[in-house]
Amino acid sequence: MNLLFYITCFTAKLIELVIKFFRLGAGATWPGEVAIRLNPHILSSFASQFRKGIILVAGTNGKTTTALMIKTILEAQGFSVVHNASGANLENGIVSALINQTDWKGHVSADWGVFEVDENSLPIVIKSIKSIKSKVIIVLLNLFRDQLDRYGEVDVIAEKWQKSLQSLESHDQKTRSKNEVKIIANADDPLIVSLSKVVASKPGPSFANATAGRLEANITYFGLDDPSQFQKNVDHAMDSTFCPRCGARLIYKGYYYSHIGVWRCEKCNAKRPALDVWESEYPLPGLYNRYNTLAAVAVVKTLDIKRAAINQALKKFTPPFGRQEEFDVDGKKVKIFLSKNPTGFNQSLRTVLGLGAKHLLFVLNDRIPDGRDVSWIWDVDFEVLAQDEHVITVSGDRTYDLALRLKYAEIIKNLNFKLQKFIEPDLQHALKQSLEEVPIGETLYILATYSAMLEVRKLLTGKKIL
Amino acid sequence: MKHSLTIAWLYPDLMSTYGDRGNVIVLQKRCEWRGIDAKIVPITLETPHSTLSTCDVVFMGGAQDRQQKLAGEDFLKRKGPVVKEMVEKGIPALFVCAAYQFVGHYYQPYQGEKIPGAGIFDLYTVHPGDQGKRLIGNVVAELNSDWVTGLMGGSPITIVGFENHGGRTYLGSKMKPLARVIRGYGNNGEDGYEGAVYKNAIGSYFHGPLLPKNPHIADWLIAAALNVKYGEKIILENLDDSLEWQAHNQMI
Repeated sequence: MNLLFYITCFTAKLIELVIKFFRLGAGATWPGEVAIRLNPHILSSFASQFRKGIILVAGTNGKTTTALMIKTILEAQGFSVVHNASGANLENGIVSALINQTDWKGHVSADWGVFEVDENSLPIVIKSIKSIKSKVIIVLLNLFRDQLDRYGEVDVIAEKWQKSLQSLESHDQKTRSKNEVKIIANADDPLIVSLSKVVASKPGPSFANATAGRLEANITYFGLDDPSQFQKNVDHAMDSTFCPRCGARLIYKGYYYSHIGVWRCEKCNAKRPALDVWESEYPLPGLYNRYNTLAAVAVVKTLDIKRAAINQALKKFTPPFGRQEEFDVDGKKVKIFLSKNPTGFNQSLRTVLGLGAKHLLFVLNDRIPDGRDVSWIWDVDFEVLAQDEHVITVSGDRTYDLALRLKYAEIIKNLNFKLQKFIEPDLQHALKQSLEEVPIGETLYILATYSAMLEVRKLLTGKKIL
Repeated sequence: MKHSLTIAWLYPDLMSTYGDRGNVIVLQKRCEWRGIDAKIVPITLETPHSTLSTCDVVFMGGAQDRQQKLAGEDFLKRKGPVVKEMVEKGIPALFVCAAYQFVGHYYQPYQGEKIPGAGIFDLYTVHPGDQGKRLIGNVVAELNSDWVTGLMGGSPITIVGFENHGGRTYLGSKMKPLARVIRGYGNNGEDGYEGAVYKNAIGSYFHGPLLPKNPHIADWLIAAALNVKYGEKIILENLDDSLEWQAHNQMI
């Protein structure tokens, strides 16, 4: 390590202390931001210090939950883990998490780094870590449409990932053995499968639990093998029903949700790959959480952690902030479901209805972390709420947009007599009123966009994140 | 007599990226709430011409590049000429974002050849080059005054939405602008115009989607469709649009 490294670490650590001492924030981004500006290679210097390796979790939905599951299982095995628990998942968030865990000289004393990575930041993070000597595991969860004004379209992200993953492959070929980069990919997402193949397109030695003779030795595929979970009605918010390889319309044996399912292409014969991991104990409700769990299990299985140990660790799993997080308020329960894009919102709706939800609060904000464009609420299938009676309150910066969406889903008309009460832009009032409607012992389910979820937490706990 | 309308929704599986299905939902519900039967007819790559040509309203939305290419080829060769004939007959249509670009003469990419459009509208679109910014954000515009007279009495003269487009669209002499931008960029960020009107067809860059928060535009399309179909002026029943205008006014 050179002098610049020590100066950077010392300065960033100092900034972190100042931020925390004066309560200027969580210190989840600024220490890292300053460190990167002082020393653009700081992430690689940190990354190379992990004794075992680095695990990156990428995808539109499920990053935070999956990363926390991986961390939980690894820690139960006695490994030490550095993790960006605050959800700050740009490069500065990852570096901040590292600075928080290192000593003043920038020494990382941990076995694993487990980081969730923003879709746009994955290429830059991969670039920083690809030359490290220890293991690199990249988890590719899914790609859905999300905040089109900020991220651009799904295909734009996919193209960036493809270039980045390709660079990993060529690097890999030149300088190191093939075994050290592993891809954990969602077999049920056709776009993810086509991206994962970019990395491991060449034959290599198979690892322990892969089928013998398999060519794509560096990919572990997870997915569901449960046709009873196929959807009866197809979600409207679908992004990739066409073959990423040849462009023909894909044929689905069944959809689990959105474009996730058992797919094949009749034109080029691409199909859902054989699954390496398809079952587990599931600590959280919701089909999407099955995928998060399977991804985490796939990661730790490649590290030869035994199934019994995995299950035991998962039993003790508590969800991260805002993701099915539970609170008690005067004998009533509140459950928060972060719901930030059409697929996420559809999955949250299906999960809470499955849990028998009667009382719902929807909060829609349009700030930078939520995306400024709220058009996406029209891709959410709110119509499913029409099947039963619910007490629904809407709030947030874009209360009226959301109320209008519900009006056209024809689920608000039977609430007409108290309509005004249930359209409440002031979140504090909305929360209070909707809680008043909930009988003791029952649950208020809150579905909220990112900044709205943080505000709800702030109202309930006094703090936004951790 | 009970009236009925069929709404052709072009490429719902390919060109519905930005919540634009809201436009179709709004057309359908606002018909149903007035006792007008409304059927949505999905028109995709495999749908025969006859299914499309018998529809009373046409809608087509935005798409991602990959899907846009698939839809674009089909539209240019097959569905486009049918829609052109329909628009010429006065059948109302709404083309949003990518579809708005498609119905023009051509799209000039930053590099390479012009991509021909369906030539339904007298307009063209130019990519601004790699230094050109995408035009993104909330937009408010004031409707073209000689067009406003066709709206239902008492309607506001503004439209609100969210735009997110790279291409700059320029109108030819046969087109009337739909509106003049008050806040935001509109067609090209230069001449202050937003959208275009030709006969009973509207093109616009507004997502949001356009129709839920602008019910006067939705009703204009419905009224035009009924007039063309039944050959007589049909006055639409007023609906309680207080929530619609609350959402509209919040954006102004």
